[in-house]
Amino acid sequence: MSEERCDVLVVGGGPAGLVAAREACAANSALEVLVLERDRAVGAPVRCGEGVGMKGVAEFLDPTGANWISRRITRVIFWAPDGTEVRVAEGDVGYILDRTRFEPALAADAGREGAEIRTGTEVVGIARDGAGWIARTRGPRGDGTVHARFIIGADGVESMIGRWAGLDTRVPSRDMESCAQYVVSGIDFDPDAIYLHFGDQLAPGGYAWVFPKSEGVANVGLGMVALKGDGRPAREWLHAYLDRYFPTGTRTGYTVGGVIVHTTVKRTVADALILCGDSAHMINPLSGGGIVTAMKAGRLAGRAAAGALAAGDTSAARLQRYHSDWMSLMGDDHERFYRIKEALNKFDDEFYNRLARTVNGIAPDKRTLGRVFAQALMQHPTLLPVAARYFV
Amino acid sequence: MRRLPPTIAVVDRQLCDECGLCMPLCPPAAIEMRREGLVVFAETCTGCGKCIAPCPVGALLMVPNPLLAVSLPSA
Repeated sequence: MSEERCDVLVVGGGPAGLVAAREACAANSALEVLVLERDRAVGAPVRCGEGVGMKGVAEFLDPTGANWISRRITRVIFWAPDGTEVRVAEGDVGYILDRTRFEPALAADAGREGAEIRTGTEVVGIARDGAGWIARTRGPRGDGTVHARFIIGADGVESMIGRWAGLDTRVPSRDMESCAQYVVSGIDFDPDAIYLHFGDQLAPGGYAWVFPKSEGVANVGLGMVALKGDGRPAREWLHAYLDRYFPTGTRTGYTVGGVIVHTTVKRTVADALILCGDSAHMINPLSGGGIVTAMKAGRLAGRAAAGALAAGDTSAARLQRYHSDWMSLMGDDHERFYRIKEALNKFDDEFYNRLARTVNGIAPDKRTLGRVFAQALMQHPTLLPVAARYFV
Repeated sequence: MRRLPPTIAVVDRQLCDECGLCMPLCPPAAIEMRREGLVVFAETCTGCGKCIAPCPVGALLMVPNPLLAVSLPSA
């Protein structure tokens, strides 16, 4: 049984944890930062649709000539339940990542700054240890313990670090999207566009998506809220979707997982401990997008940890500043998006079909999200209170 | 001692993809991810069933509580 020490223990080698490690090292190169990842590799297995906004990701890695980009996206196409197609954005929209290369690129950056990345090693429990924490670990070298002055919990949807630290990271069932996705090849679609397909009959409480990986190859998946479904698991909803819309494609791989469409947990910090990314529900609850948000939170978390250690004060009271910084950066927006999500959930397929047809009456170059929203308001004045909170 | 629930959740490891979606849904944190796979602790599960429908592959199901069978008074 091995016993070791570090200054900052980062649990989870996804976008949140790897950026947190890099930023902690960058803030103070004397810090010993250890990242533990349960899976045998960072970035795999992929549990993700892999779509990101262009500007957001460029804050963290240089996209020029990067091998972690599968596809550059210049269009967003919404499909209404009845199939009416609405093209909303034209221009530089985002990327479809190759997560099996994206995380290694983030890990390499963290390593260059001095962090140690250890894969195949899980944390099975944590307990207080003086002013810091002791973590029990299990990995290829057997069981071990790590004494850490600080823990950054970036352990994703399951968020055991948060629970062990006494933070409430539970998710109400209505705010959990059950997702399934296949990589499908040999299908016909616009490889420069992402498709978002709405409808209670195909993905109740969520949407289906087509995210191109290359010409003829795409991540085709859906997320749905089980409470709104009929008892069939998400993967069966996806089979029905593929049979109907992409019957000729070859399914070369699948993944499943949960996307939390909630708001940031009320408490993201404890003494000498910070949560970031999915583990703290830092996901855009309208889109389900969580990669860039996780990295933004990871950056704040890494800097906050380094700052607290330098100041000799890792109390939850001091770390509360991290929480408020996050809320001003994105958390408050997510609370607004959540209210919009709740309002949109009340509408039926016919509402979206009508909306799609009206929006198509607006000239494509004037089809901004604001105008789409204005159209929705005219059709459904009950959206007004939500809109007021959103825009004010 | 708490009243044992009549049914509790169990995982079918052949179906389970170990995505962890069920874990934050479980009020008493009765579900853990181990290296050998997902585990539902019968002693902790309250039988609320919140984990069942959201599982994307249908790997969780409710079964009669085996602990209840053990603790029944002999006739």
